[in-house]
Amino acid sequence: MSVSRSRRCFLKDSAAVAKGSFLALSLPVILSACQRSQRALEQGADFRVFDAAEAADLIAIAARIIPTDETPGATEAGVIYFLDNIFAEPRRASQLALLREGLVALRGQSPLGGRYFHELTDAQQDQLLHDNAQTSFFATMRYLTIAGTFSLPRYGGNRDKVGYQLIGYEDRGAWSAPYGFYDADYAERGE
Amino acid sequence: MAEAVFPSFPTRHEVDFVIVGSGAAGGVMAKELSVAGYSVVLLEQGPHLKAADFLHDEWGYDHNLELTWGRSQGYPQTFRKFESDVAEEREMVCGYAHNVGGSSMHYSGNFWRFRPIDFVEASVRGPIAGTNFSDWPITYAELEHYYTKVDWEVGVSGLQGPWDPPRTREYPCPPMPIKGSDVLLERAAKAMGLNPYPAPVAILSQPHNGRPGCIHCGFCNGYGCEVNAKSSSLVTVIPVALASGNCELRTHCTVHRVNTNERGRATEVVYWDVDGVEQAQRAKAVVLCANGSETPRLLLMSESAKHPDGLANSSGMVGKNLMFNGYSTVMGLFDEPVNAYKSVPATRVVHDFYELDPSLGFYGGGGIDGRHPSRGAPMGFALTAAPAFGTPTWGSEFKADLAYQFSHVAAFDGHTTSLPLSTNNITLDPTVKDKFGRPAIRTTYMDHPDDIETMRWFYEKTVEMMEVAGASNIVGHYERDGQEGNVHLLGTCRMGNDPDSSVVDATNRAHDVPNLFMCDGSSLVTSGRGQPTMTIMALAFRAGELISQAARRNEI
Repeated sequence: MSVSRSRRCFLKDSAAVAKGSFLALSLPVILSACQRSQRALEQGADFRVFDAAEAADLIAIAARIIPTDETPGATEAGVIYFLDNIFAEPRRASQLALLREGLVALRGQSPLGGRYFHELTDAQQDQLLHDNAQTSFFATMRYLTIAGTFSLPRYGGNRDKVGYQLIGYEDRGAWSAPYGFYDADYAERGE
Repeated sequence: MAEAVFPSFPTRHEVDFVIVGSGAAGGVMAKELSVAGYSVVLLEQGPHLKAADFLHDEWGYDHNLELTWGRSQGYPQTFRKFESDVAEEREMVCGYAHNVGGSSMHYSGNFWRFRPIDFVEASVRGPIAGTNFSDWPITYAELEHYYTKVDWEVGVSGLQGPWDPPRTREYPCPPMPIKGSDVLLERAAKAMGLNPYPAPVAILSQPHNGRPGCIHCGFCNGYGCEVNAKSSSLVTVIPVALASGNCELRTHCTVHRVNTNERGRATEVVYWDVDGVEQAQRAKAVVLCANGSETPRLLLMSESAKHPDGLANSSGMVGKNLMFNGYSTVMGLFDEPVNAYKSVPATRVVHDFYELDPSLGFYGGGGIDGRHPSRGAPMGFALTAAPAFGTPTWGSEFKADLAYQFSHVAAFDGHTTSLPLSTNNITLDPTVKDKFGRPAIRTTYMDHPDDIETMRWFYEKTVEMMEVAGASNIVGHYERDGQEGNVHLLGTCRMGNDPDSSVVDATNRAHDVPNLFMCDGSSLVTSGRGQPTMTIMALAFRAGELISQAARRNEI
């Protein structure tokens, strides 16, 4: 394949990207929303499907896939609520069973030895997920974490649209030209 | 438009026409026949959704198939590459929306006319061994009037380009404002000596026929338009049909058989109604506009002692010659925000490669346009971009990359020809059934080697264009092992003058059944270059007029 794969050469310093985007502008709003979500979690909000330990593990895994750093991640997006909603649908019963099997299987691996995933340090969690990166369980968790982060808030995730803000999707629903740099430049030059 | 009092025809009352399917063709057909004064029952298996029902619901539409339906809604399909394989259940092999308006509701609205060469290419280019590559029984000149009807009655925005076929009337709406992804395409194309020009789209750039202009929300392809700016049959011709007072639209009706009598004429269409009760609508004539997979399935399911291989299938061509159109996509990253996720999918096309040089040693051709690689959808991008770019797929770096990639990406896509082959077809799955007990649509499909070479050629050309455009991290894809599904469902009841090698004649009438017509993607003799709906609608306008005239002469 005759394509350039100069991996990551485009990647600007992530802080600079955040600073230049509207992500940074609305950060205080996002963070206060996140604190609300976090409080709900700490207060042991009821889940329809998952018990507290399962929920804590799922939250922890999703948080390694889309972490919370300078900006909100899967935890603040409420991915756990998305998961709890969709797995409450009877048609997903067999998928739920597989997900639970995956969680149990994870607990059997070193260094867990029966402990829960969420009890590990971040570094240990990352290592364990790296070891499982090729499994269908991890692929499923990656898929569902992304789905929960970027789906409409009506499904339970993407709370306060933190997913849209994270990816740089302006959720305005309507625009007029110019839409970006290049078409603005095109108009300016009279092309 | 004021809504008329809708008629309600008793099923035992013989209406003039029953039309199966309310999509791109069925909507046009319903309008043409009902406005001409005929009584019409329009059967649709899905619901009548309206603009207010449409959401930017990527999870619901793209991942749970709420508009297109799949196994979880009770509509499994099966796929195999070769007839020697056992087909396996697969989602979205033949992808189409189940609702009033059919797939014109969720299409991207790219409305390229076919060009004169498309209708006579087999004789100009010469036959291709092992294929059913043929000329059409009609020419571009015969269809031009109906293309113009589509432009004005359905609503197309554009500007006549250097490669466009002659037209008798300008577009009703000017082209869409150029997007950043197409500025990059246009600049690269010009630097390479090519002729990019505004893409014709069935989306209104300004108010037309009482509908508003586009608000550029970006959710066209795969989504319903929330402001009625996209020119689907749902918001254009079907309201006209209903306002005629001669057309009854019946939704949630699942057709499973066309009955014929001892004289070989179609008498009634049998379906399950919204309550699952079997009904049969009598009609003087039947028009199937159910799409290139549903129309042949229905004919095959309508076998009888008189028609043992399926209705209207004495040629053996029902279901055969399935053509998907080929596809290639290349994406790259740019230094400044492109924001290709905003506005309509494509605003520029390059048609310099409509016919590839025969000296390349294979047949093919196509067009190129600029897009967002995930149709602008954030979830789809987050799932697929990092694995494609080879960047981290999870963790902090993944997250940081996303914020950059989503807005700084552009894609150049190739849309290409497919050859008609007997071995690419729709048949009845012998074991898998849908929730009504109808045999699942079984697709057997392997792209012809020339089709794959054509995809490769367009892939490589668009890589070159990306390089000229100044992109970094250029990656791309084409189905080098053959496609396993598509939303273009063409050729499966092909039009032709010879009853031994085609299913319908040049007026879309079944060769075998005088009062049965098929008009949709299945009628296409060749695939065009990847944007078939404009031609499907033009054919429906033409067939509707001819059927109406034949009825008036008492020749049905």
